[in-house]
Amino acid sequence: MTPSTVSRATPEFQSAAIGAEVLRLTNVSKHFPGVRALDEVCFDLRRGEVHAVCGENGAGKSTLMKIISGQYQPDGGGIAYKGEARRFANSLDAERAGIAIIHQELNLIPHLSVAENIYLAREPKRGWFIDRATLRRDAQACLDRLGVDIRPDALVKSLSVAQCQMVEIAKALSLNAEIVIMDEPTSSLTESETALLFQVIHELKREGVGIVYISHRLDEMAAIVDRVTVLRDGRYVSTHDFAATSVDDIVARMVGRSLEEKFPERTSVPTDEVLLSVSGLTRRGVFHDVGFELRRGEILGFAGLMGAGRTEVARAIFGADPLDSGRIRLGDRDITVRSPRDAIDHGLAYLSEDRKSHGLAIKMSVVQNLTLATMDAMSNRFGFIDFEAEAKAAKTYIDLLSIRTPSPHQVAKLLSGGNQQKIVIGKWLLRQSRILFFDEPTRGIDVGAKFAIYQLLDRLAAQGIGVVLISSELPEILGLTDRVAVFHEGCLTAVLNTRDTSQEEIMHHASGHSRPTAPGAATP
Amino acid sequence: MSDISTTTNSAPPSAREPGEPKARMMNDKKKDLIQKFAALASLMLLVAVFAMTSDAFLSVNNGMTIALQVTSIAYLGIGATCVIITGGIDLSVGSVLALAGVVAALAVKAGVPVPLGMGLGILVGAFCGLLNGLCVTRLKLPPFIATLGMMLVARGVALQITGARAVSGLGESFGELGNGALFRVVTIGDDGFPNVVFPGIPYPVILMVVAAIAVAVMLSRTTLGRHIYAVGSNAEAARLSGVNVARVTLVTYILSGSLAGLTGCVLMSRLVTAQPNEGVMYELDAIASAVIGGTSLIGGVGTISGTAIGAFVIGILRNGLNMNGVSAFTQQIIIGLVILLTVWIDQIRNRR
Repeated sequence: MTPSTVSRATPEFQSAAIGAEVLRLTNVSKHFPGVRALDEVCFDLRRGEVHAVCGENGAGKSTLMKIISGQYQPDGGGIAYKGEARRFANSLDAERAGIAIIHQELNLIPHLSVAENIYLAREPKRGWFIDRATLRRDAQACLDRLGVDIRPDALVKSLSVAQCQMVEIAKALSLNAEIVIMDEPTSSLTESETALLFQVIHELKREGVGIVYISHRLDEMAAIVDRVTVLRDGRYVSTHDFAATSVDDIVARMVGRSLEEKFPERTSVPTDEVLLSVSGLTRRGVFHDVGFELRRGEILGFAGLMGAGRTEVARAIFGADPLDSGRIRLGDRDITVRSPRDAIDHGLAYLSEDRKSHGLAIKMSVVQNLTLATMDAMSNRFGFIDFEAEAKAAKTYIDLLSIRTPSPHQVAKLLSGGNQQKIVIGKWLLRQSRILFFDEPTRGIDVGAKFAIYQLLDRLAAQGIGVVLISSELPEILGLTDRVAVFHEGCLTAVLNTRDTSQEEIMHHASGHSRPTAPGAATP
Repeated sequence: MSDISTTTNSAPPSAREPGEPKARMMNDKKKDLIQKFAALASLMLLVAVFAMTSDAFLSVNNGMTIALQVTSIAYLGIGATCVIITGGIDLSVGSVLALAGVVAALAVKAGVPVPLGMGLGILVGAFCGLLNGLCVTRLKLPPFIATLGMMLVARGVALQITGARAVSGLGESFGELGNGALFRVVTIGDDGFPNVVFPGIPYPVILMVVAAIAVAVMLSRTTLGRHIYAVGSNAEAARLSGVNVARVTLVTYILSGSLAGLTGCVLMSRLVTAQPNEGVMYELDAIASAVIGGTSLIGGVGTISGTAIGAFVIGILRNGLNMNGVSAFTQQIIIGLVILLTVWIDQIRNRR
């Protein structure tokens, strides 16, 4: 394909008006083992329109995108592209047909130039060699069409994130894309960069490209979005003209479910005794001036969007990442935490959201994982392990947490996700930790195992342990916690009493879109 | 926390555990056993084949010769195993052993008593290991690069301080460690010539057994050993569990360096001459013995017993091929193929 011959400037597309339908998904479903990621979802896209897809984390947006872009094949339903029923075998197939996707993590090669990236694997050739002149000229033409000022010879590693995004869009244009999918394109852009991106999006619209736009930032959408479709729990909720709806309305539809998942009744009330209090926690560029208190027997939720800084705050308190400033008090004395070792010695525990890469030594056995944080207590002063004590302690927690394993010496890698999670929890219970940070403890595990973990959290709180529950699932936060700390872009925006709040209020604080009518931050 | 069980046991209606993985796990266990057995069996097979093809192969004398030849690979292999389990690699041991050996020899030549001189050699090895470890943990250099640098530096220093000449004239006592043996029984025959009834167990072999058992116990029975496996299995998880990852890593490099120092002293003692060019490419034998013994270069997996088997596989191959008059070049080809074969088998086992 010679990109210089590409022309989409037919009169039909030069009008800014929204054109004919280019894509229609009818009752598309996708199942993964144990999860119904998409359930009979409908979606359509017209030329020259920006169609936003909204929903909470886990609502099915990513799955929908991956189906449109050919990365997943739907289990049921149909896809009509330009009026014809199509099935894309893979992403390359979809790309050839004119569907481009711009991922949140950009897929450019840093050490190659802008032009080389745009035409990667489709370089214009003269005989055996790359035709550099044509490559440059074509790349320049693509960039010019977007009206962006990037040199085709610049190395990608020298560009800003926003510029990289422009290069990705230029690449999509060079591919003759008729549909461009953008996944959280503004999440790492500054305001002026966002404005530039929106200009480019307007340019794409004028060229008749249909844009699927996924973003958490509802406030920004008014500038570009024509229609919005809301998904919830993998199901289709509604589609509206953006102009005829409001941000509040969209949020209400996104979270609109009742607490249908079953949560155990909380059996205890928190005491007034403060276990942990932090203030002024700052890590430059990550989070700023975060302060909160955790009480004995309390479950404190950390709510917020991905990347709001919840995990980072927890990791810093645990000594896994450095802090620039801030105070950590345990009861009534200040403590210094330089490493996870320090934190563990102070009775803190952190259960990572990324179980496989940060929580579990997958090649080691169930027993060895359970006792990993408690080896000092399991060995004599020469470092020789007391295998009997170790086996006994491990058995206690295997029984207590009903970890399903054929043998305590089974390699952790071979257990199911839920059981692996129980091992990591068991590791900290065995350590007798008093303050537990649970980061997305139920991610990727089945409903039954989730319930067991909810019950466990409640039991732990009843025993006077302080629990911080970081969760992106609002029902989990509402169903389990006593109070909720809401984060937005590295700042703690509100601490709410769970009993007096709602998903809508939390979402508003989490998106930085504070509603004047909302009750202010409350602490008991 | 005893009351947790009452609720967790009565848990969710939909908690299910398919029976299928259980069957698979049993199968895995079997595979593991087969792998362990297979390594040992192939060793036995080698012995059987060489015993048939060469009359002199299966004798006490040759057995001791093989054991003696295997010692240097084994010392280095033991250190390499610990380093590799943490996910690292030590390419410097061949050079470090040369440096340690010549330092010991120069010290003895300068009048230092032999045991002290050799102790100094081992310390030099430990120091090189310490530098390797600091480069990896403090400067965050990839282990391959850090130890590659040390490989060149140590060899250069060894050549520099000796003027690239062998250090000889070290006296008989310098050769005691490498050439002496325990329980050696010699009678003087009627013709006046000594008659060796039992060649004895060479000191290096005893040292090898002691080192292997000590490190095996350290790896399997102590906190340090557990932490070494944890670091190699998942360094971040280990760190978040309170393991001092840097210290554990450092210890393995120091151990590897010390064992290289010991190897240098033993080798130089056997020749009663210190050669600054000794030990070239020995690091590859060490890594090969660990890998043949089932140690994973990705880290987290490996045993000393496996490495011992690996060292003997290499040693017996060399010895047996020698006795059958196979040329040194052909030997290299065969050993190379054996490494490829064993690692390929290991890959299949892990692919599942």
